[in-house]
Amino acid sequence: MKEWIEVLLRTVGLFIVIFAAIKILGNNAISKISSFRLISYIIIAIVTALLSANVIKNISLGLLVLAVWILLPLALEYLSLKSKYVHDLVYGKGKVVIKQGKVMEDQLKQARMTGEELLSELRSKNAFFMADVEFAIMEANGEINVLLKSDKLPITSKAMGQKVAPKSEPQTIILDGNVIHEGLKNLALNEKWLQQQLETAGIALENVFIGQVDSSGELYIDTFDDMIQLPQPTVKELLYANLEKSHSDLLGYSLETKDQQTKNMYEQNAKKLDEILKKLEPYLLR
Amino acid sequence: MTVSSQVKQTLAGLKNCHSTLRIYAVQTQDQETRNVYEEALDTTNEIIKNLEERLKAIEFQEPRYKGN
Repeated sequence: MKEWIEVLLRTVGLFIVIFAAIKILGNNAISKISSFRLISYIIIAIVTALLSANVIKNISLGLLVLAVWILLPLALEYLSLKSKYVHDLVYGKGKVVIKQGKVMEDQLKQARMTGEELLSELRSKNAFFMADVEFAIMEANGEINVLLKSDKLPITSKAMGQKVAPKSEPQTIILDGNVIHEGLKNLALNEKWLQQQLETAGIALENVFIGQVDSSGELYIDTFDDMIQLPQPTVKELLYANLEKSHSDLLGYSLETKDQQTKNMYEQNAKKLDEILKKLEPYLLR
Repeated sequence: MTVSSQVKQTLAGLKNCHSTLRIYAVQTQDQETRNVYEEALDTTNEIIKNLEERLKAIEFQEPRYKGN
């Protein structure tokens, strides 16, 4: 009777200890941790398992082992933050395997990789043609990162000479029918604005599953009921269209008027409007 | 001479644009975007003023178009 209580208490206690240890050690994506950390994780796991299953009878000794394996790697990591020498010792350095389109064979040999393996890694980064690769580096954790030649990179708006309006991150303001006030605060908007927007869209707050606002203030809504057709936000396009209409109206008036002075007035205003339209185009349409 | 009702329509459309532009100018967080919107606001303001003057002139010259 007593033994199973002891095992239960041990396991629950260790569960909490391990949870705290993970918080202390921090969250790292499994594919990105160094092998050193991986080993220490495995050892912590094994010791905890043995301890909770009562294979290691002496609790304090077991906890001592755990403490060392949690704290020492942590200390080593802090040291490697401060000193580059320690960092290179612990994590290793990246090796350049392709430079200016040419393969560095001796680096490959040091990394213990064959040409076939190199090609396979390049393919996993979508570089099927070696001719497309400008630079490739093998990181300390063995992953290869590829820089393609500049004419093989995807086209950016800068390369095309087109101006695009700067956009920053969207804020989620409705989740599961509840308003997220932090999101509203980040955009300097309040609940009244949100209610107005929902009214114009004709949706009640409790029907909204996700509501997102972009950096220019447009609200996008996803409702629980997928049958409802929502009007897509077109305020910007409408504004642009309205300005274009006014522009062509002014041009028309300038043609109709007989009085020279008025004609000039209409023409000048049409010209001003045209300039503004050109400036606003990247912000309203793109 | 252009019909005053047409000019009034254009004027109303422009005022509409003007207020939408103001909403965007206030809401935007990026400074560059805000500058562009404020410039647009100034230009539309000028055009609105010019059109209003023209409207007055039309109504003065053709009293039967006055009102409404």
